[in-house]
Amino acid sequence: MNPSEQREFYIGYLSQAPRGIRRWMRAAVIALLSLVVLVALWVVWGQQKFAASRFEFGTVREFSGVIQASPYPVLLVGTGADKSAVRYTLVAPGKHGADALVSPFAGQSVRLRGTLIYRDDLQMIEVEPDSLQPAQLDGRLPAAPETLGSLTLFGEIVDSKCYLGVMNPGHTKPHRECAANCIRGGIPPLFVVRDGDGKSAVLWLTGAQGEGFQGEALRQLLDVVAEPVSITGEVSRVDGQLFLRAAPASIRRIP
Amino acid sequence: MSHTYSAIGWNRQKRLYDGVVVAGVILYLALFAGVGALVHPNATIETLLIRGLGTCALLLLHVILLIGPLCRLQPQLLPLLYNRRHLGVTMFLVALAHGVFSLIQFHALGDLSPLVSLFVSNTRYDSLANFPFQPLGFIALLILFLMAATSHDFWLANLTAPVWKRLHMLVYVAYGLIVAHVVLGVLQAETSPWLAILLGSGLLAVLGLHLWAGYRERHHDQELAAPNHDGWVDVCAVKDIPANRACIATVAGERIAVFKYEGKVSALSNVCQHQNGPLGEGEIIDGCVTCPWHGYQYLPDTGASPPPFTEKVPTFNVKIVNERVFVDPCPNAPGTRVEPALVSNE
Repeated sequence: MNPSEQREFYIGYLSQAPRGIRRWMRAAVIALLSLVVLVALWVVWGQQKFAASRFEFGTVREFSGVIQASPYPVLLVGTGADKSAVRYTLVAPGKHGADALVSPFAGQSVRLRGTLIYRDDLQMIEVEPDSLQPAQLDGRLPAAPETLGSLTLFGEIVDSKCYLGVMNPGHTKPHRECAANCIRGGIPPLFVVRDGDGKSAVLWLTGAQGEGFQGEALRQLLDVVAEPVSITGEVSRVDGQLFLRAAPASIRRIP
Repeated sequence: MSHTYSAIGWNRQKRLYDGVVVAGVILYLALFAGVGALVHPNATIETLLIRGLGTCALLLLHVILLIGPLCRLQPQLLPLLYNRRHLGVTMFLVALAHGVFSLIQFHALGDLSPLVSLFVSNTRYDSLANFPFQPLGFIALLILFLMAATSHDFWLANLTAPVWKRLHMLVYVAYGLIVAHVVLGVLQAETSPWLAILLGSGLLAVLGLHLWAGYRERHHDQELAAPNHDGWVDVCAVKDIPANRACIATVAGERIAVFKYEGKVSALSNVCQHQNGPLGEGEIIDGCVTCPWHGYQYLPDTGASPPPFTEKVPTFNVKIVNERVFVDPCPNAPGTRVEPALVSNE
């Protein structure tokens, strides 16, 4: 220490800091605010792109069609002269499936109100409870499944409601707990498959007999949600949508 | 410095400090949400909010952790330390908002209570890649709450400075948990290396500056006095102590501040009773040793704060022989008056 050294001394409860320290502080504040701008922009640009998925929150529409209750609630809406169908998977508000809401109307024509959720070719309706009403419509029966064979696919199990647009991103590890809550609550699971070029396909995942997951099968499913897995099962197509029927035992973690 | 407790002892410097902090937080969140919405038009507002609040809290935590070593290395930056507690409380509030929004987003409106869901919806504690990262953030938030709740001189006085200091050292545990929360959480999903590079740079800055500041202090401690055969320790030459300032000597593992003022020399503990600030880096102002961190004051001969204040630090017997200062390494009880040694040629 140099005894002749002069220095400024800062005391916080005095109204004015010494001149030299004020200069340091001005530089420090400019540096910190620059850091704020740099980090904010860095993180914004560093994030990966968000998928084009939508939840029309606040916009309630009216729909009409035929209820298919199993394996997962669907509203089949006939379109065009050939009565080809658009399938709207139905879910309830929050992290709940719509099974209880639609079961009294299985196989019937109905009108309902709800909020649209969609991503790519898949569409979903968050049904307003108590909005389902029987309707006299020229209803359409479900199409017969087109069997595509037994396959082993690699991908990730997600909950369909978040993946299709309620949350974005609605997949991968940060979303795991939410996906488990949604599937536990009855939201239908989807299996998202990506090929080597990054192209993805999604399949509605059911049990080996085409049933929804309950009890021990559900527990096994929840254990591997949002993890890289392989699933071996029967693939089929209904109204342009893919289904994968597989026993939980055929789901394997990819190390 | 105050002898009564109030919620916040406002003064101009604190208002300036808090103004900059609030402006910085608003700037960050506005940039993140505004530019984020433009760059990522498909992102939902909830996602932008959760990510913006989380990264803002993490940036604030880095600044908080960097202030300590930066001030050790560059004392002109000490005003950053003066009101760091407000920065800490701000960081906790931003982190709390991140936590609450996340809890609602990922765990509410399901079959389980959100707090139960937080701990049971992912049970892959046996896997590093799939390890539940959200409970880590929750535990860190509890620590930050504990620190924010006790971030007041009332708790400092009632818990005592050493206990309070140890409690607030838990910030490093919280930091470790939060780094793990980010690494095992969002970084598992992001494909770009830029976020990992940013976090790694922050971690490197925190570790590097702490090690650098620690090395400087350790190096300084080793240069200082060793015990002497007659029980007194030769700490420095009188001429080496600047007027109204101190020389710091490490004796028997304790740092002692030896002040020279008004032709006298007094020695007292280097540790301020307020927040363990380094008294020896302070100055004699208005006849009192003044701590460089928050301006707490002590009379140099007694180690006691002037009335009506009640803080006291230990004093040490001191003598001057042949223009060298000798200190008795046995501390006197805090507040014990010791006759200052007189400087012969002043």
